[in-house]
Amino acid sequence: MGLCSSWDGTISYSEFFDAARALSEKWKLSNSACPPWTWICCKKSFWVSSHEEQGYLSLENFYCCSISKEGPYHDQSQSFGEEPVDDAALDDPCAPEVHQYDFHIVYSASYRVPVLYFRGYHCDGQPLTVDDIEKGLPANALKTLKESKWTFMTREEHPYLNRPWYTLHACGTSEWMKLMFSDSSSTQHGAVVEQYLVSWLSVVGQVVGLQVPLEMLKSSNLKPPFSSD
Amino acid sequence: MAAAEPSTPSRKVVVHLRATGDAPILKQAKFKISGTDKFAKVIEFLRRQLHRDTLFVYINSAFSPNPDELITDLYKNFGFDGKLVVNYACSMAWG
Repeated sequence: MGLCSSWDGTISYSEFFDAARALSEKWKLSNSACPPWTWICCKKSFWVSSHEEQGYLSLENFYCCSISKEGPYHDQSQSFGEEPVDDAALDDPCAPEVHQYDFHIVYSASYRVPVLYFRGYHCDGQPLTVDDIEKGLPANALKTLKESKWTFMTREEHPYLNRPWYTLHACGTSEWMKLMFSDSSSTQHGAVVEQYLVSWLSVVGQVVGLQVPLEMLKSSNLKPPFSSD
Repeated sequence: MAAAEPSTPSRKVVVHLRATGDAPILKQAKFKISGTDKFAKVIEFLRRQLHRDTLFVYINSAFSPNPDELITDLYKNFGFDGKLVVNYACSMAWG
């Protein structure tokens, strides 16, 4: 039988830790031009049993071109300006500005899912405001933001750094994670855990312009849901 | 010469749309699309057909392709039995 039908799309903290390692390794292999995802160790919180290592995943100094017509989908391996997006350049009289982003993937003990925290800077080091971030969002994400203002992206205290970072809301995460794996033919929960953060990032990354290379998704142990029909 | 190869990017790809969750089933669930088109075109097609703005579209248990991915690349990596299976659901909530 397929994945246990009672699985609710959430993962435990130790599964998060395993998934984080898997993401970080796959990312290094197929996206070497991009900064790596590194595990940052932190002091213990009350909700994790004492033997578990605690922390979060961090990818910092990610450069993102802020042209939002179709969205800032830019391959990191291409240098900016080498291949300008012609349509956007024609529409927009301003030169595209390069923003720098820091991304953290933190485990939420209340929702039992990963949560993305991020912050951005202009090239002069000035932090990005909500307006600046909005300008850089892909069209779809921008639409979602306008429609669901406070239930999509807000500024909240980073759970480990205790400073305000932008975050994407996690209430719906387990629902769409469950859906994505619902017709998985994988019988092993371990394979799902292995793939969990990569799949999660394929959705969340689209909001912030962080693209997951196809090779990373392909190397999955999961098989196609059916062979013929 | 390259144009004669079977894997040429402009080759049409059969996309099979599968409803999941609460999504309605489309009358025409399979259609052909050029390999040089972006995945955004499939999303647009679904939006128009279903009259929904928020859709959750994913492939192959389990990832959600970036709208900028080319159909030919998705087919090369995840195509199966001569077609690319694309799952869609109508609900996509963040908060």
